Amino acid sequence: MADLEIKDLTVQVEDKVILKGANLTLNKGEIHALMGPNGSGKSTLANVLMGNPFYQVVKGGILYKGEDLLAMAPDARARKGLFIAFQYPVSIPGVTMSSFLRTAVSARRGYEKELIPVGEFQKLLKQKLAELPIIEPTIVGRYVNEGFSGGEKKRAEILQMAMLEPEIAIMDETDSGLDIDSVKIVAEGITRMYERANGNMGILVITHYSRILHYIKPSNVHVMFDGRIVVSGGPELAEELEAAGYEGIRSQFEVIAAEVQHEGAVKRAGKVFWVEH
Amino acid sequence: MAETGQIVEAGQLTRRAVEAISERHGEPRWMREFRLDAFEAFERLPWPTTRDEKWRRTDLSGLKVDELTPFAEAPAGPLPAGLRMTVDAFGAHSGLLVQRNSVAVHADLDGQVRERGVVLADMHQALREQPDLVREHFMRYVRPEKSKFSALHAAFWTGGTFLYVPPHVEVALPLQSYTWIDSERVSIFPHTIIVAGEGSKVTVIDGFGSLTAEYQAFADPIVELALHEGAQVRYVTMQDWGRNVWEVGIIRSALARDATLNSLLVGLGGKLVKADVESVLQGPGASSEMLGLVFGDGRQHYDIQTLQEHAAPHTTSDLLYKNAVKDRATSVFIGMIRVHPGAQKTNAFQVNRNLILSDGAKAISDPKLEIMANDLRCTHGSATSRLNEEHLFYLMSRGLTRAEAVRMVVEGFFAELFERVPLERVGAQLHVAVAAKMTE
Ligand SMILES: Nc1ncnc2c1ncn2[C@@H]1O[C@H](COP(=O)(O)OP(=O)(O)OP(=O)(O)O)[C@@H](O)[C@H]1O
Ligand SMILES: [Mg+2]
Repeated sequence: MADLEIKDLTVQVEDKVILKGANLTLNKGEIHALMGPNGSGKSTLANVLMGNPFYQVVKGGILYKGEDLLAMAPDARARKGLFIAFQYPVSIPGVTMSSFLRTAVSARRGYEKELIPVGEFQKLLKQKLAELPIIEPTIVGRYVNEGFSGGEKKRAEILQMAMLEPEIAIMDETDSGLDIDSVKIVAEGITRMYERANGNMGILVITHYSRILHYIKPSNVHVMFDGRIVVSGGPELAEELEAAGYEGIRSQFEVIAAEVQHEGAVKRAGKVFWVEH
Repeated sequence: MAETGQIVEAGQLTRRAVEAISERHGEPRWMREFRLDAFEAFERLPWPTTRDEKWRRTDLSGLKVDELTPFAEAPAGPLPAGLRMTVDAFGAHSGLLVQRNSVAVHADLDGQVRERGVVLADMHQALREQPDLVREHFMRYVRPEKSKFSALHAAFWTGGTFLYVPPHVEVALPLQSYTWIDSERVSIFPHTIIVAGEGSKVTVIDGFGSLTAEYQAFADPIVELALHEGAQVRYVTMQDWGRNVWEVGIIRSALARDATLNSLLVGLGGKLVKADVESVLQGPGASSEMLGLVFGDGRQHYDIQTLQEHAAPHTTSDLLYKNAVKDRATSVFIGMIRVHPGAQKTNAFQVNRNLILSDGAKAISDPKLEIMANDLRCTHGSATSRLNEEHLFYLMSRGLTRAEAVRMVVEGFFAELFERVPLERVGAQLHVAVAAKMTE
């Protein structure tokens, strides 16, 4: 049984179908990368995994550690160890990072009536900040994402990830908006988290650039195209895509799509494959 | 009647009752006449209805003033737990005054503060001991004939706080006063006067609460603040009536040259609350910060009408009211900025933000301007929003339950106010009160 199993996921917003039968499997102890052109549905997938009420799942399902993920509220998913570092985190006026983090850590650690003791929380926070030297400690006194620069938002997401110690983490373009040095430092921090979890953490890195993948080394790279995962391969796929762009995939994909439409069957051509369920 | 020591009976909004109240307190003749004149005004003025501009949003037809007793003795015995808790929660103070029903039951003032000439007394005691000071200020800023309710107040007033801070005296710790309604079927009319002498400095916390009873009670308080040249006053009024209490109240401040007032009105309790909060900037350089935090739930109705009146040049008023409503509660904010001719180089700011937490709740916002000067800075804005589902999703995605996420968003909504009031105990109390509202 896989830790995270996405099957034939079909999702729409209002009347627009965005995911058209996406399949993906991820286990703890694995790092996968998800690439794909703008608008192909990567963030939609991440949001649906977390239970964003804005998106409607019309078909397919997601199993998380054997349980029906879609039946759980977002907070239940988080408490069970699922985490998304959002591409566009929202800001929450008047709520300080520190009180938010303390409440979140308490939820994740199963505190029910009260919060994690202040001392214990401070210690944890200090330790995580030390491991992520690009995060300004003063950030915790500020309101959640309010007035943060693009890069600061991404760093704050990573601080949350570090504090919550997730089992499955999806990082949606955490590298976009970070300067070159920061990408390296964030990636190293994440690699340390991953290694320390000792097989108890799985990561899906959504990115447009192979750069971050040089530090966080994925075993699998998937490509999403028009709401489906159309290619899966090893780490070399990321380099190829970066060199050649998505054009190659697009043309092969169109051939396949035409064939499938015509014959209603599974076809393969080059690296592109498309499984109809 | 005799056994409870009642000097007037329910339903007695009569000249005879006014006389009995005046007699009980052994008042000087001028006060007795003042009351009787006010009573005439009361009889003359009509009860407001929703056809009156100021009452358009608030229907008082459920208020049965004529079934209530306009004076009630304090019950014997120790302070009720709810009152004691509130008093304790605010911590250290330089002076404390407690009133139950219509009568003051406790007053103390730090010896050193007293030695410097500070007077903190219930209004009747002040009238006996400082007759000239009281006479100089009593209902000088709110005239009895202003409305049916101010006339009623002027005729029947009992209790309330008199505070006088002499020139250049600074009182370090807050002075606190609590007014507590112990009974149902009672009307109270506490009258509070705060006189801050030239260059003086003081913080006052004015608390209001009651037992929750079945039948209604009514409060018609008037607070007058007189800030002399360069005085600095922080005034917090914290209202947490039980759900049976109706209130029609007025807080009016007059600021002389270079005086600074920082005020905060907190509205949490009551069934229906109508409050006029008015600041008149009479001297150049005067500055008034007017903050408000209102949180209504159940079927509570709040109608807050504010006035920032600039009568002198180089004056500043800065108003921020944040109203949250839940369940089927309503909040009304009507804010007037009035700038007199000649009040040039004035800064007048007004912001009202409302947060609606339930479909059945309502927030009304109505800013008004009357500007008769031409060289000034004036901004006003209001915004009403509902809970933002994206914000809630973000918080929930980190493990917070929906209820926790909502509580956090609401606390965040009020955070700006907490930040602007540097009184730790008040902030802590408000956090507790807001959290309690969320779980109700
Ligand atoms: N809330 C929404 N309302 C309407 N359309 C949406 C919404 N969210 C996503 N879409 C649409 O769904 C498609 C997929 O968007 P998504 O954000 O998932 O793409 P992406 O692969 O993450 O792209 P990028 O690489 O630019 O981040 C886009 O066409 C987008 O406009
Ligand atoms: Mg995206």
